[in-house]
Amino acid sequence: MDLLKFALKKLIGGIPLILGVTLVSFLLMVYFGPDLTYEQLGKNPTAEEIAQVRETLGYNQPFIVRYGQYLMELITLDFGFSMVKDQPVSHMLAQSIPVSLQLTLPGFILGNLLAVILALWATAHRGQWIDKTIMTGAVIGMSVSFLVVIIAFQIMLSSRYGMNLFPVRGWNIYSADGTFSWWQYLQFVTVPTLATVFVALGYNTRFYRAVLVEEINKDHVRTARAFGHSQKHIMYKAVLKNAMVPIITRVMFSIPLVVVSGSLLIESYFGIPGVGQVTYDAIIAGDQPILKAVVGLTAALFVVILLLTDILYRAFDPRVELK
Amino acid sequence: MNHRQNIQLNPESLWHKSWVKFKQDRMGISGAIIVLLYLGIALGVWFGLWGGDWGTTTDAFQQSPSWQHWFGTNAIGQDVAERAIYSTKVAFEVGLTVTVLSTLIGAILGAWAGFFSGRWIDSIVLWLLGVLDSIPFYLFVAAVAYAMQGSIFAMHVAMVAVFWTTTARIIRAEVIKLKQQEFVEAAQSLGVKTPGIIFKHILPNTSHLLLVQGTITFVAAIKTEVILSFLGLGVKNGISWGLMISEATNDIQAGYFNNFAAASCFLFVLVIGFNLFSDAVQDALDPKKIH
Repeated sequence: MDLLKFALKKLIGGIPLILGVTLVSFLLMVYFGPDLTYEQLGKNPTAEEIAQVRETLGYNQPFIVRYGQYLMELITLDFGFSMVKDQPVSHMLAQSIPVSLQLTLPGFILGNLLAVILALWATAHRGQWIDKTIMTGAVIGMSVSFLVVIIAFQIMLSSRYGMNLFPVRGWNIYSADGTFSWWQYLQFVTVPTLATVFVALGYNTRFYRAVLVEEINKDHVRTARAFGHSQKHIMYKAVLKNAMVPIITRVMFSIPLVVVSGSLLIESYFGIPGVGQVTYDAIIAGDQPILKAVVGLTAALFVVILLLTDILYRAFDPRVELK
Repeated sequence: MNHRQNIQLNPESLWHKSWVKFKQDRMGISGAIIVLLYLGIALGVWFGLWGGDWGTTTDAFQQSPSWQHWFGTNAIGQDVAERAIYSTKVAFEVGLTVTVLSTLIGAILGAWAGFFSGRWIDSIVLWLLGVLDSIPFYLFVAAVAYAMQGSIFAMHVAMVAVFWTTTARIIRAEVIKLKQQEFVEAAQSLGVKTPGIIFKHILPNTSHLLLVQGTITFVAAIKTEVILSFLGLGVKNGISWGLMISEATNDIQAGYFNNFAAASCFLFVLVIGFNLFSDAVQDALDPKKIH
């Protein structure tokens, strides 16, 4: 019961945030954004036609009504039709979100998991050559542009100038009879995943190592050493578990950005029909309904993540109270 | 005695100790040298010493690297090295503008919010930080570009609007700690007005954090410019490493790597130099690390 109350309270607390994000995006994209009247009209429109289009677009309504309509769209998840594709926006998102998840999840999980392992390893051998090698690798990893990594991996792994092992671009994870095929999936997901992991490892390892080193210098670790606990026990039970709060925070808060922004570059480069690709096309074409939907939904996702993070803290740190 | 001179000469000051420590950091020194070299290249372009011919086309298409063309030429016979050199100036312009503006805004609003923590000013700044942090970055750039009717500064405005939030959070947290110390109380009892306390007494004590965060912002701005230009949301007229990489995606299919190699090498060396420099500054300025 406590948990439910806590969750409700947090959700209500997230309303100003959602209102803020939607207001900023509404102001930028719709209110100050381009006038779309003439893009929807043929040549030589009559004054009546212009007035009619302006009415359907809602331009004759006062600000607060138009903003209210946008909020209603968010609540009902009905964002109308895309201006370019002539499909309902909700339908396009429902098709592309699963693709993005299939694409980004392996890289996201591996990127964080491997980084924690490397950080633990580096922390346990602090100041020695293992630590120095890992940290040098991390600086190099975070100094290469994501864009360069993507292109380089594509040249090395899927072009005739490299090993030519994987398809260059596209996303065809179903076998000929229309069922999901692991083999096909691995073919298309490997190169993007390798690129994501390469970049994520640099930033994540450094962050996690800093967190772990901070923890290893604390008194309880010294006490555990004095009691003669093994290095393994100390690293997992005394250090890693106590460092979980900042680690969870980082992992959770990168979820919305990984789902939308992170996949934008990969999807547009590899031609994968996920949310990133849909968003990128919408940015280039100026497809407002889609952009409004993506911004609004990401903000809502952020609030949910804030809530989940608070609940997860509780699981790892009993001192955190739900209030 | 002059106050500033006093700070520089005092061997016990944070800056003096940090300078001593920084000089011993070989990685940091090499990073600083790399950054200075790039700064030299950028200044040279600025003064018209080199890089001026980046747009000149010749009939020597897709040449391999040679003494005349260090990185070869591109599909319309332009010298790739010349273009990469000119792009250095563009990168520094974007990096410096974004860093200076976002540090200023972050410092002022962060300090203001921290000093009045728990009051309505603080709540508004925190709300603004939350809002800006939860809008997906590329969408935000696109939205700003819309609102500014495709202006060339849309990219700068969007980056500043997003990057200042980190600086503000750091400064806010530090100011909350600082404002409880005796020197603030002393200034208050002497009748110094609130803006004076914030700007003359508290903010100078956060300058080491601003310096560190500034170097981090600079790197982020340069890397972001490349990706935005590649996506067609950044530099519009002119040339940048991002535009060169974007051009390279066509060349690569045909087996020409000049553009890609030049742009990514220039970018990588600058970013790694700046990262090494930034790490060393961070280490040197951290009072918790005893040497």
